[in-house]
Amino acid sequence: MLNRLLSSLAMVLAAGCCTTAIASQPGAVGAGDSPLAPHETRAWLMRIHDAASHRNFQGTFVVSAGGVVSSSRIAHFCVGASQFERIESLDGQMRRVFRHNDVVHTLWPRSRVALVEQRDMLATFPALLQTGDDRIDTYYDLRPQGVERMAGRDADVLLLRPKDNRRYGYRLWADRGTGLLLRVEVLGERGEVLESSAFSDLTIGVKAQPDSVLLPMKKLDGYRIVRPSLTAARFDAEGWTLREGVPGFEQVSCVRRLLAGMTADDDDAATQVLQTIYSDGLTHVSVFIEPYNPARHPRGMHAAIGATQTLMRRVGDWWVTLVGDVPAATLRQFANALEYRK
Amino acid sequence: MLDESEDGARSLLGLSALADGELDPAATRQACSRWHGDAAARASWHAYHLIGDVLRSDDLASDTARDAGFLNALRVRLAAEPVVLAPQCVEAGAGDMEAVSDRRAARGSRWSWLGPAAVAAGFMAVASVLVVTRGNAPLEGASDSLARSSAGGSAVLTAALPVPGAASESAANAPDEPQTLVADGKLVRDARLERYFAAHSQFGGSSALGVPSGFLRAATTQAPGR
Repeated sequence: MLNRLLSSLAMVLAAGCCTTAIASQPGAVGAGDSPLAPHETRAWLMRIHDAASHRNFQGTFVVSAGGVVSSSRIAHFCVGASQFERIESLDGQMRRVFRHNDVVHTLWPRSRVALVEQRDMLATFPALLQTGDDRIDTYYDLRPQGVERMAGRDADVLLLRPKDNRRYGYRLWADRGTGLLLRVEVLGERGEVLESSAFSDLTIGVKAQPDSVLLPMKKLDGYRIVRPSLTAARFDAEGWTLREGVPGFEQVSCVRRLLAGMTADDDDAATQVLQTIYSDGLTHVSVFIEPYNPARHPRGMHAAIGATQTLMRRVGDWWVTLVGDVPAATLRQFANALEYRK
Repeated sequence: MLDESEDGARSLLGLSALADGELDPAATRQACSRWHGDAAARASWHAYHLIGDVLRSDDLASDTARDAGFLNALRVRLAAEPVVLAPQCVEAGAGDMEAVSDRRAARGSRWSWLGPAAVAAGFMAVASVLVVTRGNAPLEGASDSLARSSAGGSAVLTAALPVPGAASESAANAPDEPQTLVADGKLVRDARLERYFAAHSQFGGSSALGVPSGFLRAATTQAPGR
């Protein structure tokens, strides 16, 4: 255990050094189109991840997927080891999201509903970078593509290309000064943009105002508080196996949960499902399993909205729903490998 | 005279609401029949979409000839599709599909002749809608680009449909869900799906790209309801 801790620490330190090296020599990365060495890739991802956590920034974030454009005002603060976020949707019904580390409150002021969640995975450091797992290098390569201006700032453009057809590629614009991601495009198999999220304006280095997050999180009077019920579960103990894993994807979490309806009176909606999450370090796939019920599960379907694919089908006495930002074939591979033995 | 202009204004309002997807089925039928019979309404209809498209992107501004060209190309391609005269039902293996396949079979070969390309089938399924609302999708590889959700600003919905034996190649790894329906992103907002999306996006922070890529995106696009 101690060994493992030490080695992760060493990794973090090593990656930290690389990060500094890149930061101090911004001109070092050219516009060449050859993939970077694994340690360089990791250093870039560390830098990007680090900036997202440790910088204070504020701006307008725009997501365009499936023909729908959504935008929000975002403020992110880091005080010591704590992270704070305030997100206010600018489209549709007013919605405010507050995050303090792994606690997330989503408020709908009009309907006076507050969703209070504990999202353990938000606060954790990505395991892949932490343990020196080279899965990202095995399944993706990173190619610097020069410098472009984005949201009023100079950005390094990086192409994260999948080495097989089980995942999508990404084009990243990382702020030259800080490494903060200014824009991300999810690229389909033919290089087409499936989805893009970007800051349309951004100020980095704003004054941290943690109270602007903490105070609203404490003031929930008058709100109907909804807490998702989640309990840890084990995929194999539930009787399930993946006959054949999907290369690169490893199980990172498995929970039993109630999928509540989106509206207060949507009672029929509360279904017990088993949700298992597989990650390849960059993207994740959720496998939902619930008992098959002909009344609720009329037919199999496949939907694609932006980069998000959804596959629903019956497997024996069960109904499975797979969701992930991966090609549909990858979801099928998961679905075909599912087996119940009990 | 007054009546006439009032009627015209109401008709335009109806078209505008139709363009925004806000009409119920009866009103949609009514607006469409008006659109069908009245050249002025057709021009307005096109103008509404052009305005909407240009607001989204300058690249979407196009003249009517392009739309007409698209329609013609579509007709030519449809005419070139092979016709399968004896569609078969899906094997019982896909148990949950049976009911659907029966229903589809009852509807006859109207669907099955589309088999050879699942994508093309889906494209067809709502072609009438698309031609009306999204006339300026690219000509080349129209079905392809529509299948890509970004291209036409549309989302792809696939529902179950038995594919005749001749066409099973395209469905080789998709025995259950070969039919692809194309619909506008807004139309797909299915409460059933939203719940899974929400549960899925809760784990968006686990990416090596850090919080913005997953969490901010999920928080920005989260389902509008509740």
